[in-house]
Amino acid sequence: MANRTIITLAGTDHPGIIAEVCNYFAQNNINILDLSQTVVQEYINMMMIVDLSKYSKTFPELAQDLDAVGKKVGCTIKAQREEVFNMMHRI
Amino acid sequence: MVDLKEVMETNNMVASENLDVRTITMGISLLDCMTPDLDDLCDNIYGKITESAKDLVSVGDEIALEIGIPVINKRVSITPAAIVGSSACKTAEDFVKIAETLEKAACKVGVNFLGGYSALVQKGMSKADRLLIESIPEALAKTDHVCSSISLGSTKTGIDMDAVKLMGETVVKTAEATKDRDSVGCAKLVVFCNPTDDNPFMAGAFHGVTEGDKVINVGVSGPGVVRKAVSQTKGESFEVLCETIKKTAFKITRVGQLVAKEASARLDVPFGIVDLSLAPTPAVGDSIADIIHEMGMEYCGAPGTTAALAILNDQVKKGGIMASSYVGGLSGAFIPVSEDSSMAYAAEIGALTLEKLEAMTCVCSVGLDMIAIPGDTSASTISGIIADEMAIGMINQKTTAVRVIPVIGKKAGDTFELGGLLGSAKIMPVNPYGCADFINRGGRIPAPVHSFKN
Repeated sequence: MANRTIITLAGTDHPGIIAEVCNYFAQNNINILDLSQTVVQEYINMMMIVDLSKYSKTFPELAQDLDAVGKKVGCTIKAQREEVFNMMHRI
Repeated sequence: MVDLKEVMETNNMVASENLDVRTITMGISLLDCMTPDLDDLCDNIYGKITESAKDLVSVGDEIALEIGIPVINKRVSITPAAIVGSSACKTAEDFVKIAETLEKAACKVGVNFLGGYSALVQKGMSKADRLLIESIPEALAKTDHVCSSISLGSTKTGIDMDAVKLMGETVVKTAEATKDRDSVGCAKLVVFCNPTDDNPFMAGAFHGVTEGDKVINVGVSGPGVVRKAVSQTKGESFEVLCETIKKTAFKITRVGQLVAKEASARLDVPFGIVDLSLAPTPAVGDSIADIIHEMGMEYCGAPGTTAALAILNDQVKKGGIMASSYVGGLSGAFIPVSEDSSMAYAAEIGALTLEKLEAMTCVCSVGLDMIAIPGDTSASTISGIIADEMAIGMINQKTTAVRVIPVIGKKAGDTFELGGLLGSAKIMPVNPYGCADFINRGGRIPAPVHSFKN
C-alpha cells in the first residue's frame, strides 16, 4: 500500500470535527505529516497528508472507516493516494 | 508538496465536471488459440480470455478507489476473429458460435464490452473474412457485449469497394436483426479506414496482430473538464484558449497514465498506450458540443464549428502527448451524436447536419459516429456514406469510421433510445438522391499517390 495518502474533508464547520478524525488516526497508527484547512462561511475544507506505513488495514477498509467517521461528524471524508495529485499538478 | 488548492481542483473535476478514466482495455492475442476444430477453438478462446482478464474488473475498481477518480469501463479486445477462426470456421454459423463464446467469456470476467469480432479487408477479402461479415447480423443480435469492426480501406492500400458494398448491406441486415431493440446491433458495428491496432475504445477496439500477447491500453476522458476550463476564457484570444485546453488536457492525460501504469503493474501485463481521445457521455455537460459552444458557437454545427473542433483536437494532442510516455489509439475528439446530449440536441434543431458532421470528421479523431438514420435508408446509400468517409481517411492519412444506425420502422425526426452510454437522439435525415451505380461498380479504389513514399 502507498504510504503517503491525502485525506480531504468537506462539510459544515463545528467543534470536534478534526478531533474525531485524528482520534481515528491515533487508534489506527496513522501518522499525520501535514494539515491545512480553510473555513469559508461555515464551510470547512481540510486536507491532511498522512503516512499509512504502520496502518494494518487495507485501503478499502480505510475508505469505509472514513465514511463512517464522516457520517458521525456530518462531513464527507475521502482518502486518495498522493501520487494522483503529483501526476496531475507537477511536471 | 501537494497543496489544498490542487487537491480541491482535482476533486472538483470529479465531483462536478465528470472527470473519469473512460476505459481500461486489455488486449489479448488469440493467435495461440487457433486450431482447425471449432469446439476446441471455442474452448481455447474462452480459457484464454477468462484466465487473462480474470482480475481486470477488480483491479480497475481498486485503482479507482485508491486515486478517487472513477474508472468507468473495463473492456477486452481480441485478435480479429476472422483470423482466429480462419481454419475452424466453414460457415457463417461457425463464426456465430465464436461470437457466443466471446459473449460467455465477457460475462464471466464482467467487462461491459468485448471488441475484435473483426476483419481487416482493406485490400481484399479471404473466405473467412466474407463468412465473418456474413455472420455479423446474427452474431450481434445474439450477443450483448460483443463489438464488431471491419477495416475497409487504408492510405497504403486504397479502399476495397466490394467490401464497402457488402458492409452497406450488412449494416441494414444488422439493423433488421435487432429491429425490436431500436436496431441496437448497429451501435456495436463500426467500419474503419486506417484503424489502429491499439484502440481501447468501443466499438472499434481490436488487438492487432503486431501487438504482443497481452497489453493494457487506457482511454482517458474529460470533455466536462475541458468545457469548464474553456468557459473561463470567454472573450480571450485564441492563444489563451489554446493554452487553456493544452494545460487541461495535460492534467487529464496524467491521470490516464497513472491508471495505465498501475493496472499494468497489478495485472502483470505490459502497458501499451494511453489514448488521448475526449470521449463524451450523455451526462449533462460531459459534451464535445458544449465545448464547441463555449468556444463561441451558438450551437455545435454553426459555421466555425470545424475550425473550433480542429483547435480542440490539436490542443488536446499537444497537451496529452507530453503527459504520457506512450500515446496511441485514436487520440483526438469523438463526436458521437447520440452519446453526447448537446450534440443530439444540435442535430434535433437542425444546427448540425450529416454533411457538417462529415466535414468535422476531417479534423477529429474518428468519424460519423452513433448517428441514427431513417430505417428505410437503402444499403447503397449507406455504402455511399461509408465510401465518402473512407475516402476522407485515405486521402488525409488518418483514421475515419462510420457507425450509423438505420432504425428500422422509424423515420427522420423520430426518437431512438438505446439508453446508458449509447444515449438517445432524433433520427437525422439522409440525402435522398441515390449512388447505386457508383457502389455497384465493384473492385478497389487504388491507393492515393501520396502513399508511395518508398
